[in-house]
Amino acid sequence: MSAPIIRVTGLTKRFGAFTAVDALDLSVPAGTIFAFLGANGSGKSTTIRMLIGLLRPTEGTIVVDDVDVVREPRRVRERIGYMGQKVSLYQGLTLHENVEFYGGLYGLEPRALAGRWRELAERFDLEAIDAKVEELPAAIRQRAGLAVSMLHRPRLLFLDEPTAGVDVRSRGLFWEVIQDEARRGVSVFVTTHFLEEVDCCDRVCFIDAGRVLADGTPDELRGSWEAAYRIEIEPAPGTQTRVAAMLAAHGLPVATEGTTLEVHLPLLEARELDALQAVLAAEPATRVRVDEVEMAEVFRRLTGGAAA
Amino acid sequence: MSTPVVELRGLVKRYGARRALAGIDLTLTENELVGVVGPDGAGKTTLLRSLVGLLEVTAERARVLGYDLTGDVTALKARVGYVAQTFSLHPDLSVLENLRFTARLHRLTAADWEARVPDLLARTGLAPFGDRPAGALSGGMRQKLAVANALLPVPDLLVLDEPTAGVDVVARHEIWTLLAAARARTLVVLATSYLDEAARCDRLLYLDTGRVVAFGTPHALQAQAGLVPYRAWGDDGRAIARAARALPYVRATRATRRYARVEVASAEAPASGGVLADLRALAGAPVRFAEALPVDMESTLLALSSGASA
Repeated sequence: MSAPIIRVTGLTKRFGAFTAVDALDLSVPAGTIFAFLGANGSGKSTTIRMLIGLLRPTEGTIVVDDVDVVREPRRVRERIGYMGQKVSLYQGLTLHENVEFYGGLYGLEPRALAGRWRELAERFDLEAIDAKVEELPAAIRQRAGLAVSMLHRPRLLFLDEPTAGVDVRSRGLFWEVIQDEARRGVSVFVTTHFLEEVDCCDRVCFIDAGRVLADGTPDELRGSWEAAYRIEIEPAPGTQTRVAAMLAAHGLPVATEGTTLEVHLPLLEARELDALQAVLAAEPATRVRVDEVEMAEVFRRLTGGAAA
Repeated sequence: MSTPVVELRGLVKRYGARRALAGIDLTLTENELVGVVGPDGAGKTTLLRSLVGLLEVTAERARVLGYDLTGDVTALKARVGYVAQTFSLHPDLSVLENLRFTARLHRLTAADWEARVPDLLARTGLAPFGDRPAGALSGGMRQKLAVANALLPVPDLLVLDEPTAGVDVVARHEIWTLLAAARARTLVVLATSYLDEAARCDRLLYLDTGRVVAFGTPHALQAQAGLVPYRAWGDDGRAIARAARALPYVRATRATRRYARVEVASAEAPASGGVLADLRALAGAPVRFAEALPVDMESTLLALSSGASA
């Protein structure tokens, strides 16, 4: 397990009598995509503002990429990339002018900037460099916003609802880009209200009223539910007993429901997947359908009401 | 035959040389919930703003609640409820003051207020926050206030532009409860990018480049979708997705840690058994188990956006 790129202990923020963030502990392993979720008003934005050095905590420690954020809030901003829901590119300027502006802010030399941008533009499929930002289609503007936030080669990206109001195809392409960056070693701290996107992440932390409610891999969160996976198996006529016996031999708890077989599991791991494939190999006419409980449902259950 | 609430023929909206709406034909008569979906820049917001009389448009025929959109629309505006994409209530006024402002604009009586406001506040969970300035509300509460505010005058047409963007799942549920109740007495037209919300609409209008690409029940659009989803399970879903994108008939992928969901163009792909065999044989990304999934809203909207629908 790699060292954490974000370490937060006892993080607290009070506004007068109101406690927005309440003794929060967080640890984000380097190189992972970390989903940070919570209902509107749960303390999510306040936490992010503290993590990137924009808001001073009342109590607690924050270390981001080896920088003590409470002591040196400015230094952390050189180390991270940030993209909010409203992509922070300047309208009225072309994409090229935005790149030059941000490159200057990050202190990049013109030649280094040009090289870096060529690399990002190719990776993120950005060509329309002379178009005004507001003329770009939203999906390209969004990728451009991400590219600009990465000009200075940050090892950590903060993405605050990067896909809000974005259509399903652009969302999918955006996640491909994020996962590619993670593969290159970039850590990603992301918030979203599209709960299906949580499964695109490595870890997920869910907060409510400024406290951590759940923290783990998406599988671990699902695994707290005995029937997170419902597998329906329809054997071809005359093969039901044989198929049931095969599944049982692989250690799967099989129940018979009329002509179908059902298996309920908290986790679907290599062993179970191999068992399903073995059944299909032996009895190719068998129909198998895996029903995975939706993340939205997992959260409703975890929180008994409050949810992302 | 009742008079249509919305009757559009050849509706065009130009911004300079660009046609944001390039000839929309649409007739809506019943009280129903119509979802407007499509890629970014398709013209969704422009259509919704046209419906409530906020834009100057040209058309062969453009009537909403009987008012001509190319003429004086002052009276129309008094009869529609509209929730814009960006929060447009008064941030310095409290929740109650915002509602009172709307009540006065619409000349509601004290009896109307008594009959509606406590109920709206209760159903939105805003009752304890009556005195809080709208600008100090959380994103979800703000949107609930915007919807409550649009419903207060009991409009004859309710139009909402992404009312739940950036809103948590519980607040979204509350907003949808309000919309479902409104739908019983009025036509509701809303834009959304959530798949579960699209699936809950009575009918979906899919727009692209200012044109209607498809219009029908979610079920009917699903039946025409030219993409079929598959799921390939293994130890590294992201590697499986990357490998699957190399298959010539794969149009989109979505990778979780454990599996890749793969959208397959049914017109170009082999039969299901062939696709499953191809997935099992992906180079460099071992697939332990692969399955065909039923077509859902995700496949349907991806199919429409890639021109794969019938």
